[in-house]
Amino acid sequence: MNQAGNTQAVAPLDPNSIENRYGVDGSQAHKYSYQYSTGSDGTPWTAHTVENQAVENGNYSNSNYYHPQPTGPATGSVQEIPNTASFTSSSTSGTANVAQDYSGYTAYQTSSDPHSYSNTGYSNYYSGYQQQPSQSYPQPVGAYQNTGATQPLSSFQNPGSYAGTASYSGTYYNPADYQTAGGYQSTNYNNQSAGSYPSTNYSNQTPALNQGNYTDYTSNPYQNYTPNASNTHSSTIASTTPVHYQQNYQQWPEYYSQTEVPCAPGTEKLSATSAYSQSFPAPGVTSEMPASNGQPAPSYVQPWRQETDSSQPPSHQPGAAVSTSNDAYWMHQTPSLQAHHPVPPQNHYQSPLETKPSYETPFQGHQRATHPQGMMNSQSSFHQAPLGYRQPTQTSPSVDPQRVSKVQIPTNPRIASNLPSGFTKMDKDSSAAGAAQTPAYVSISLPKPKDHTTATPVSGPFPKSLRGFVERAFARCKDEKEKASCGAALKEIIRKANDDGTINTRDWDTEPLLTVQNTNVTNAESSSTLISSLQNKSPTRRPKSRWEPLQEAKPFVKPASTFSNAVKFGGWNHQNENNKKGSETFQKVDAPTGFKPSYSGQNSAKKSFQRPVKRQRFSGGAATAIDDEASSDSDKDLTPYYSSAMALASSADEKKRRDSRSKRFEKVQGHSRGNDLPKPKNANVGNLHSRRATALRLSKNFDESGSRAVEDIDWDALTVKGTCQEIEKRYLRLTSAPDPATVRPEDVLEKALLMVKDSQKNYLYKCDQLKSIRQDLTVQRIHNHLTAKVYETHARLALEAGDLPEYNQCLSQLKILYAEGIEGCSLEFAAYSLLYITLHSNNNRELLSSMSRLSEEAKNDEAVRHALSVRAAVTSGNYVMFFRLYKTAPNMNSCLMDLYVEKMRYKAVTFISRSCRPTIPVSYLVQVLGFSGASSEGMDEKETDGMEECLEWLKSHGANLTPDSNGDILLDTKASSTSLFMPEPEDAVAHGDRNLDVNDFFTRTG
Amino acid sequence: MAYVSMGEAHRRITEYLSRFCDAVSYQDSSTLCRLLSFSSNSPSLLSIADALNVFQDAGSLIRQSDKFSEYGEILAHLFRSLQSYRVGNLVEAYLAFEKFANAFVQEFRNWESAWALEALYVVCYEIRVLAEKADKELTINGKSPEKLKAAGSLLMKVFGVLAGKGPKRVGALYVTCQLFKTYFKLGTVNLCRSVIRSIETARIFDFEEFPRRDKVTYMYYTGRLEVFNENFPAADTKLSYALQYCNPKRERNIRMILKYLIPVKLSIGIIPKDELLQNYNLHEYKKIVQALKKGDLRLLRHALQEHEDRFLRSGVYLVLEKLELQVYQRLMKKIYIIQKQSDPGRAHQLKLEVIAKALRWLEMDMDLDEVECIMTILIYKNLVKGYLAHKSKVVVLSKQDPFPKLNGKPVGS
Repeated sequence: MNQAGNTQAVAPLDPNSIENRYGVDGSQAHKYSYQYSTGSDGTPWTAHTVENQAVENGNYSNSNYYHPQPTGPATGSVQEIPNTASFTSSSTSGTANVAQDYSGYTAYQTSSDPHSYSNTGYSNYYSGYQQQPSQSYPQPVGAYQNTGATQPLSSFQNPGSYAGTASYSGTYYNPADYQTAGGYQSTNYNNQSAGSYPSTNYSNQTPALNQGNYTDYTSNPYQNYTPNASNTHSSTIASTTPVHYQQNYQQWPEYYSQTEVPCAPGTEKLSATSAYSQSFPAPGVTSEMPASNGQPAPSYVQPWRQETDSSQPPSHQPGAAVSTSNDAYWMHQTPSLQAHHPVPPQNHYQSPLETKPSYETPFQGHQRATHPQGMMNSQSSFHQAPLGYRQPTQTSPSVDPQRVSKVQIPTNPRIASNLPSGFTKMDKDSSAAGAAQTPAYVSISLPKPKDHTTATPVSGPFPKSLRGFVERAFARCKDEKEKASCGAALKEIIRKANDDGTINTRDWDTEPLLTVQNTNVTNAESSSTLISSLQNKSPTRRPKSRWEPLQEAKPFVKPASTFSNAVKFGGWNHQNENNKKGSETFQKVDAPTGFKPSYSGQNSAKKSFQRPVKRQRFSGGAATAIDDEASSDSDKDLTPYYSSAMALASSADEKKRRDSRSKRFEKVQGHSRGNDLPKPKNANVGNLHSRRATALRLSKNFDESGSRAVEDIDWDALTVKGTCQEIEKRYLRLTSAPDPATVRPEDVLEKALLMVKDSQKNYLYKCDQLKSIRQDLTVQRIHNHLTAKVYETHARLALEAGDLPEYNQCLSQLKILYAEGIEGCSLEFAAYSLLYITLHSNNNRELLSSMSRLSEEAKNDEAVRHALSVRAAVTSGNYVMFFRLYKTAPNMNSCLMDLYVEKMRYKAVTFISRSCRPTIPVSYLVQVLGFSGASSEGMDEKETDGMEECLEWLKSHGANLTPDSNGDILLDTKASSTSLFMPEPEDAVAHGDRNLDVNDFFTRTG
Repeated sequence: MAYVSMGEAHRRITEYLSRFCDAVSYQDSSTLCRLLSFSSNSPSLLSIADALNVFQDAGSLIRQSDKFSEYGEILAHLFRSLQSYRVGNLVEAYLAFEKFANAFVQEFRNWESAWALEALYVVCYEIRVLAEKADKELTINGKSPEKLKAAGSLLMKVFGVLAGKGPKRVGALYVTCQLFKTYFKLGTVNLCRSVIRSIETARIFDFEEFPRRDKVTYMYYTGRLEVFNENFPAADTKLSYALQYCNPKRERNIRMILKYLIPVKLSIGIIPKDELLQNYNLHEYKKIVQALKKGDLRLLRHALQEHEDRFLRSGVYLVLEKLELQVYQRLMKKIYIIQKQSDPGRAHQLKLEVIAKALRWLEMDMDLDEVECIMTILIYKNLVKGYLAHKSKVVVLSKQDPFPKLNGKPVGS
C-alpha cells in the first residue's frame, strides 16, 4: 500500500517538507518554497528552524498571509473587508496561522512531487482551492470528490483544498494530508477569526477561506454523514480509511515537526484577545474543534519536539509506534463505523457510551462519517479543529487531525465529539445546513444572542417559555463573550431538547440558567463539547510547554492562558505524557472525560459542564470510573464508544493490540517519574511488551499522574509574553490564565510606571494601576530592576497613604527580589522593615533577628541608622528623641512613624502627667510632641496652627487644661494623670486613608 | 578501613543481630542503647558498619532466622542507615534512620513496660543529631535543609506516644527537651507552646518526678522563652531552678544558663559578683556590670556595641539595652550624693542643667528637653521618686528613698 511506502519515503521527505513549509512561511513567496522543494532534500533542518522562528515572530507570516489574501479575498471578501483594519496583535497571529497553512501545503508538495506539485498546489491553494482537488489526486476515495461536491454548495473554494488533501493522503503522503490539514486548520482558524472578527488583518485573507472552511466543514461532514448513513461509503471506508490512517501515523513525526511551527504561530495569534472573543461566538464549533485538536496535539507535540532538534529520525519511531496503535484504532473504529452506519444517529449515541445515549450518538455518527472516508474525516476534523481551536489550540489543531490517527483513538472520539454539534445542526438544517451553518457561525461571532437562537431553531416554533429562558440567560451575560458562549450553550440545549422532543414539554421557566460556565471559562464553554475540547487543549499545551525550546514556549503559554487553571492543564499534560505511549489510555481518559461531561451537561444542566472544566482530574476520575464499569475485556479506551465495537474486538488480532496497549500503560507508570523520557521510545517499549492492565490499575495511574502534574508544572513554559500596548490598565484579579493580548510587555510597563509616578490622581488610582503593572510583571515572570522599581514605588505610595496591607505585600516581594540580588533601594526598605517591626509588630524576636541580619554596610546607611535610633527611642520611650527623629526622617521613614505618632504622644503625655508638677505649658508640648508647625521658629501662624492641633488632641484625649495668668494654656498634670484616655480611632477606613473620598473608593471598586 | 573478609563480616553482623535480639528479649536497655548510639562512634558500631558495607545482603541474614526477622523491619532500616552513615552519606543515613525510628517507636508502643525508655532516648537524640548533620550536608549541596523539621515532627510523634498516663510518661520530658532544641534551632519557637502546655497542665504527673537532667533542660529552655517575652520574674525562677539543679561539674551547661540568667538578674536589679563572671568566662557582661555600678552610660553603650552580634543572636540585646534606665538612675544618685556633700540643704533639687553637664562628661550630648524627657521616664517608671518642675527645669527628689532599689522586681512595675 501507499502507506507502507509512504512511511519510509516520508522520512526522507520530511525534511524537505518541513523546509518547504518554513521556506514558504519565512519567505512568503511561493517561489521560495518551490525552490526548496526543487532543491528539495538538501536544505537542512536548521534553516527551517530558523525560519520557523521567524514565522513565529509573525513578520513572515504576515507577508505570507497577504499572498493568499489576494486570491482568497475575491471569493469571500465581503465579510473580510471590514475586518482588515484593526488588530495588530491579531494580525501577527493571523500571519502565523497562514504560515502554518502554507507549510502544510508545501510539505505535502515536496514529499510528493517536489517541484511541479508544490507549485501547482501552492498556487492553487492560494488562488483557489477548488482547483486543486481536481488536479491533484485521483487516488483517494470518491469521498473527496464528494467533498468537492459539497463544496460547491458552500460555494467556497476551500472545499477544493479539502479534496486536495484527501487525495494527497491517498497518493502521496499522509504527511501531505497532515500538512494540508494543518494548513487547513490554520486557515480555518484564520477564517474563523476573520469571520468572527472583522478587525484582524489576516482575516482578510481568511475570510474567504473561513467561509469556505466553514461551509466546507459543514458540508463535508454532512455529506459524509449522509453517505455513511446510506452505506454507500461504508465499504470504501473500511478499506480506505485504514490505509490513510496508517500513513498518517507514520508521517506523524514529520507532522509533528511541521506542527510545531504552525502551532507556535498559531498560539501567538491566538493570544490576541480578539481571537477569544471570536471564538466565543461560535461555541459549538469551537468546542468540537478543540477537542479533536487538543488530544492529538499533546501526544504529538512532545515526540515532535524531541525530534525536531534531532531531526527526522525520531519522528520515524513514533510513526511506527503509532501505526500499531492506529491499526487498533482503526479496527475499533471500523467496527463501530460499520455498525453505526446503518443505524441512525441516535443509535450511535447509545452505543458509544451507554451512559447517555442521546448525546453520544451525534458524536459517533460524526466519527463514522468522518472515518469512513479516512481523508474526509481527517479533513473534517481539521476543519472543525481550526474552528474550535482558534486561538488557543490552533497550534495543535492542525496537527491533530492527522495526529488523531496517531493518538488516534483519542482523536476520533474527540472528533466525533466535535462534530456532533456541527452535525446536529446539519441534521436539523438538512441539506441547507451547510449554508445555514456558516451564517450561524458568523452570527456567533457577532455577539447577538438572538441570532443564535434564531439560527438554532430548526424545527417548529419555540414555546414561549423557552424564549423567556433564553432571554433570561442572555440577560445574565455581562459581555459579548459571555453572550456568545451562552448563546452556544443555549443552542445546544435547545437542540437537544428538540432532539429528544422535550422542547415543548420542558418547563423552561424553571430550567436552570447556565451562568456559571460562562463566567468561569474564558472560552465559550457553553456546550458540553466545549468542555471536552478544553480538556483536550490543556494536555496539548502541557506537553508543548514541557518540551519546547524557549521561543516556542511563548505560544504555548498563551494557550494555557486561555484556560483558567494552569495547574489543571498541567495535570492533563501529565496524563498525556503518561499516555503518550499508550495512546489508548489517553483516549480513555479523554474520551470519557470529554464525553462524560458533555452528556451530563446536556442531560442535566450547565453546571455539569463547568465541573469538568474546572476539575480535570475529577473528570479523569470519572472517566476511569466509566472504564471500570466497562467489562475488563474491552479496552478502556474503547469502552466509551463501543458497545458495538466490542463484538469485533474479540478477534485475536484485536486482543493482541489491546493487550499491547494496556501494557504500554503499565510502562508509563513505571516511567512516569521521569517525564522526560522520549515518548516515542516509550511507545515502542509498550508495544513490545504487551500485557494487560486492569481497569483498577489504570485508574490508579491516572490519579497519580494527575496529582503529580500539579507539582510539576513547567512554569517557564507557561510564561506569557504580553503584547498589549496600552499604558493604562485597570487591575482585575485574574480568574483564568492571562491573555497575552491584555498583558503589557516590559517596555510598556516601564512607561506605565512612569505614568503612575507622574500622575496627579489619588492613591486609589495609582494603587490600581500599580497592581495591574505588578500583575503583568508576575504573569510574565519578569524579575529585574523594573520589578523592584515597581514594588518600591508601590510600597512608597502605600506608605504615603498609610495602606499597610498593600505595603506589606510589596515589602515581602521586595525582600525576595533583594534576596535574588536585584539592585534596588534595599537599604531604604531595610529601614522601613525595621521601623515596621518596631512600631507595628511589637515582636521582640522578630526585631532581634532582623537587627542581627543587618550588615555593616546597612548599619552605616543613613536611613537604617535613623530607623535604628527610632527603635531605640521607642523602646526606651524617649518621645523627645522620637519626634526629633520624625522631623529629620529620610525617605519615607516618617510615613511609618506617622502611624506610631499617636501612641507616642499618648505615652509622652502620660509620662509627663505623672512626672511633672504642677503644670506644663501646652506650647511646650506642641514643640516636643511634634505638632505641626512647631518645628519652624518664628512663624506665628504655624505655631498657632500647631497649638490648635495640640489643644484639639489634648482635649480629645481627656487632658485637663487650665489657662494661666498670661493667657497661656497649661496642662494640669495632676488632674490629667488620671483622666487621660485613648480615644477610639475615628473614621478608620479599610483602605487606610480616610481622606480619600469614599465615593471614589466605591466607584473604583465597584 | 581495615579489610574485612566476607566471613568476618558475616560473623559480625550475626553477632550484632543476636545481641540486638537478646537485648530486646532480656529487656536490656543499656545494651540496646549501645547498639543504637550512632553518634558515639563506638568501634563496635563502626566495625559492624564496615561489615555491612562488605556484606551487602544483610537482609538475607535477618530473614534467616525467626528470631531476627521478628525485628526485620527495624533492623533492615537500621543497617541501611548505619551503612550510609559510615560512608558519610548523611542524608541517606537520616532517611533510613527515620524509618528505623518509626518502626522502633511502633515496637516500643507495644512494649508494656517502659524498660526501653533509655533506648528510645537514644533514638530521639540520634534522630535530631543526624537531622542536623543531614541539613548541613544539604546546605553544602545547595539544597534546602529540611530534615530537622522532619525530625521535629517525628519527635512530636514520639512525644504523643509518651505523653499519656502510665510508666512511659517519665520519658515525655526528655522528648520535650529534644523538641525544644529542635525548635530553637529552627527558629520556630512558638511551636514549643503546645508541648509546654501539655507538660505543665497535666496534673496527673508531678513535674518533680521527671528525671532531674530533663527538668534542668526544660527549665533552661522555658526560661529562655520567658526572656524573649521579657517576663523577668518568671525567667528568673526558671533559670534559677535550672542553675540550682544543674550538675555543677557541667560548666558548659552552667555557663549557658548564666548567659540568660545574668541579664535577667540585672534587669531586676541584682548584680553578679565578678568572680562569677570570671569563673564562667562571661566576659561580655563585665563592662555592663561595671556600667551599672558606676552609672556610666557611655560604658554601657560601648559594651552593647562591642558584643552586639552576640547579644542579638542570643536574644538578650533588648534586655540589656533596657538597663540604660538603671544606669541613669545610678548616675542621678551619684549627682545627688555629690550635691549632698556640698549643699545638703538643696541636695534634693537636681537641676536638669547639672544632669546634662554630667552626661556631657560622659560624651553623651543631650539638650534639656531630652534630659527632661528621660527624667519623666525615670519618674514614671519609679526609678526616681519625686517630680519634675518644668518651669524651673529642676527635678525635685523625694526626701525619702529618692532612688528606690528594684529588689528583684522589674523596672516599671
